[in-house]
Amino acid sequence: MSIVKILGLDKVASFFNIIRQNGGIRGSLYKLYRQDELKDGTLVGEDKFGNKYFENPRYFYGRNRWVEYSDNYNMNYDGSQVPAEWFGWLHYKSDLPPHKDPARPNYPWMAEFTENLSGTTGQYTPYTTTRPKVEPWVPERKSTV
Amino acid sequence: MSSRSVRPMMSSDLCEARRRALGLYRAIYRYIPYVIKYYDIPKNIDQCRWMLRSYFYKHAYITDVRVIDMLIIKGYIELKELTHQWQSKHHVIRHWNPSIEPKCTSFIAKFIEGN
Amino acid sequence: MLRQPLCRALALSSPARAVPLASRSYSNPVPAEPEKVEVFINDKPVYVAPGTTVLQAAAQVGVEIPRFCYHERLAVAGNCRMCLVEVERSPKPVAACAMPVMKGMRVKTDSDLTRKAREGVMEFLLVNHPLDCPICDQGGECDLQDQSMAFGSDRSRFTDVHFSGKRAVEDKDIGPLIKTIMTRCIHCTRCIRFASEVAGVDDFGTTGRGTDMQVGTYVEKMLLSELSGNVIDLCPVGALTSKPYSFAARPWETRRIDSVDVLDPLGSNIVVTTRTNEVLRILPRTNEEINEEWLSDKSRFACDGLKRQRLVTPMMTDSRGNLMPVDWEDAIVAAARALRDCPPNKLLAVAGDMADAESLVALKDLVNRLGSENTCTEQYFPLDGAGIDLRSSYLCNTKIANVEDADFVLLIGTNVRFEAPLLNARIRKAYVHKDTDVALIGPKVDLTYDYMHVGDSASVVKISPRGPEGSALLAYTQELACKLQDKLQDKEWKVLNVLQRTASQVAALDLGYQPGVGKALQDGPKVVYLLGADSGVVSRDQLPKDAFVIYQGHHGDAGAAMADVVLPGAAYTEKRATFVNAEGRAQQTLVAVAPPGMAREDWKIIRALSEVIGERLPYDNLDEVRDRLSEISPALVAYGDVQENNYFAQARALAQSLQKPVSGKLDVQLKHLEDFFMTDTISRASPTMAKCIQAVLKQKDSPY
Repeated sequence: MSIVKILGLDKVASFFNIIRQNGGIRGSLYKLYRQDELKDGTLVGEDKFGNKYFENPRYFYGRNRWVEYSDNYNMNYDGSQVPAEWFGWLHYKSDLPPHKDPARPNYPWMAEFTENLSGTTGQYTPYTTTRPKVEPWVPERKSTV
Repeated sequence: MSSRSVRPMMSSDLCEARRRALGLYRAIYRYIPYVIKYYDIPKNIDQCRWMLRSYFYKHAYITDVRVIDMLIIKGYIELKELTHQWQSKHHVIRHWNPSIEPKCTSFIAKFIEGN
Repeated sequence: MLRQPLCRALALSSPARAVPLASRSYSNPVPAEPEKVEVFINDKPVYVAPGTTVLQAAAQVGVEIPRFCYHERLAVAGNCRMCLVEVERSPKPVAACAMPVMKGMRVKTDSDLTRKAREGVMEFLLVNHPLDCPICDQGGECDLQDQSMAFGSDRSRFTDVHFSGKRAVEDKDIGPLIKTIMTRCIHCTRCIRFASEVAGVDDFGTTGRGTDMQVGTYVEKMLLSELSGNVIDLCPVGALTSKPYSFAARPWETRRIDSVDVLDPLGSNIVVTTRTNEVLRILPRTNEEINEEWLSDKSRFACDGLKRQRLVTPMMTDSRGNLMPVDWEDAIVAAARALRDCPPNKLLAVAGDMADAESLVALKDLVNRLGSENTCTEQYFPLDGAGIDLRSSYLCNTKIANVEDADFVLLIGTNVRFEAPLLNARIRKAYVHKDTDVALIGPKVDLTYDYMHVGDSASVVKISPRGPEGSALLAYTQELACKLQDKLQDKEWKVLNVLQRTASQVAALDLGYQPGVGKALQDGPKVVYLLGADSGVVSRDQLPKDAFVIYQGHHGDAGAAMADVVLPGAAYTEKRATFVNAEGRAQQTLVAVAPPGMAREDWKIIRALSEVIGERLPYDNLDEVRDRLSEISPALVAYGDVQENNYFAQARALAQSLQKPVSGKLDVQLKHLEDFFMTDTISRASPTMAKCIQAVLKQKDSPY
């Protein structure tokens, strides 16, 4: 055991490392205010929305991999904003991020990713898909002026 | 108009029934502040007293002793449920029917509302 | 066996008989009752008239003998053999439906021999019957299923499945209404007898014999009859089923509501079958006096027109003249404002084909309270002479049931076959069973029986009470009827009958509506209230430019298209309403389904209008409306009864002055079968009726 470890100086060094990596004191305070935590890690990749994905094996399982949401969300970040391809990596389903994984499907019919829209105007409300029992009479349009 | 003689249920004449009814009234009246406190209903004490009064006046026209007895027993059941906390806030506030819409009585209102 | 008399079958004498009319004897006096014969059914004695069959005698006691081919209204065939019962001192079991009783006959319907016979017959029937119950429409209401459960054996001895197997027969195409799966046919021949006796189209028959016997039309031919749908009710198995109703529902999951049909003036009793608030099919109800147990095709199959072209919201024209859906309050306020601001004699109310008595009386009361007397019906009827004051001059006075007792029928300017198919069935019944003579004045149309065609010029008479000469025609007819009535022996018999063509006409005339809109339109009305008036009699160009039209009805047709305010009402399956049929019998329809969307009951709309206008009508619920109806005429609420009418002599006296010579040809509107299917707003909206018309036109091109 080196003296650095006994005195805990490596923790101090890592603390300064974290501050430096997160953009200095100003950046760290902003990150703390936005995300409630400060971590350092290697940048694994970035998706097309701007969310950055980090990994640091020094943290325990569950906190190894995390996402920092892009700045255009400001404070309205939400777990459902993680797109499908990064979801697997983030939730430890696979160790390969999407740009390194050859087995990811890519079909022309795959839809664009949307976040969870509950509570907004774009939310899903159920509607009837059956044919109506009674066909109403549609009057002829006499003029369109 | 035919009359028949029947066995009394609880009270034997109107005087006794009146005494019982007043006793019930007093019992509930005295418990009202505790109802408000324990059930946390958004009514004040005067409104509760008025509701109690209105319940008693609703049956003011009844002369049959057995019917009065039956209503008194029902009132005591209510009181027991209140005191033992067997009911909850929602049961108590239903006495004021906050979410029952009044039924339409006029022809036009019924017509507009539905067939 | 009831067969047609030989001379008629061989056409030995022409219909214009050699025997002059004057020397014919008319209805014979009723013969004395024959002495009854005693028969023992299961040791229970019963007295029956001689000539009844064992099956009918057993039915009198309450013993139901199973059968497939026997039907009370058709000739006896006796070919299914299911009704075999044991009769003492007889070596073989006898067919109960064909055997007339003899004195002292002892019949045993639950002996071993009878049971074995029934089980045997059932076994044979099921040998060649396909295993179609899960996919057969008749499941649940199938005679074969019920009787095999009750009278058949529990096991089958059919082992030939692996060799020649069961018989299979090709399906026949007999039109867009009847679905035929002839493999299921058990050759009971009910359809053949119905088509030849009741419907009058001799198209069905059997081909081949034994296992290869097939029932059908031999060449592919549509069954061109307006009563063709009744074959579906008659067939005891699922061989003939309803094509529009195929695979729709099982009978135990449906609700059946009694009602009355309003698509023709006879008011046939029906049963409306519904499930989940939609009408699935319409079946006839037995009513001996009107429709027996038959129903015309239009009444039966036009029910899918109740789901199309419906008015579901009140509508108003916006500034550009297009109809837009609005709320009830807005529509009622707009209509009420127009009605209130209208000068009294410029208000016109027109009642349509299917208006019920309650809404008619509400409308008349409202219009009268607003100071106007202009209430009309769309159908014209001559008002001169007695007009509509004497009830006997616009009703079928011989009731529909008594037509089958007539000795001679003269039809003037009417095609009974398509205007009132069930009345035609009665006349045909008289023609077949009683040798009634029928004469027709009018265009030569195909009634399903032979008749004397006296000509088609109006001067032959001295009924089409259509047009300005109608009153003279009616006067002549009344004269003729009265002359004939004096000659009759039976003083209770009524000669003059007028057949109205719509279901609402009689009730409207009873309530005081003026028939025909011609006169009222000449005054140039400012506000026109159309109560279901769609037949095109009133059109926008006949009205002044600034006329305000309010349409209240259930289908969007000609009337709604020209309206400024549209108020959606209920069709006949959706309201409890009174309709008076052509003979003056009041009947009520009951609520089978709820009116769609925001539609309301018709009289309630008028009552709400009256309240907003300020002239509140004095009734709030149906009973009070019916009290008002009974104030005007108690016959309107005496459901099921028909009054005897008289004052014929007085009517004829009033019409004496109108007997001018008439010229011109009498014509009918419905000449061919394709005209029959779409005559009113519900049938015009029905896709089944459209298919029928196309099939009939296609059949006309085929060489058969």
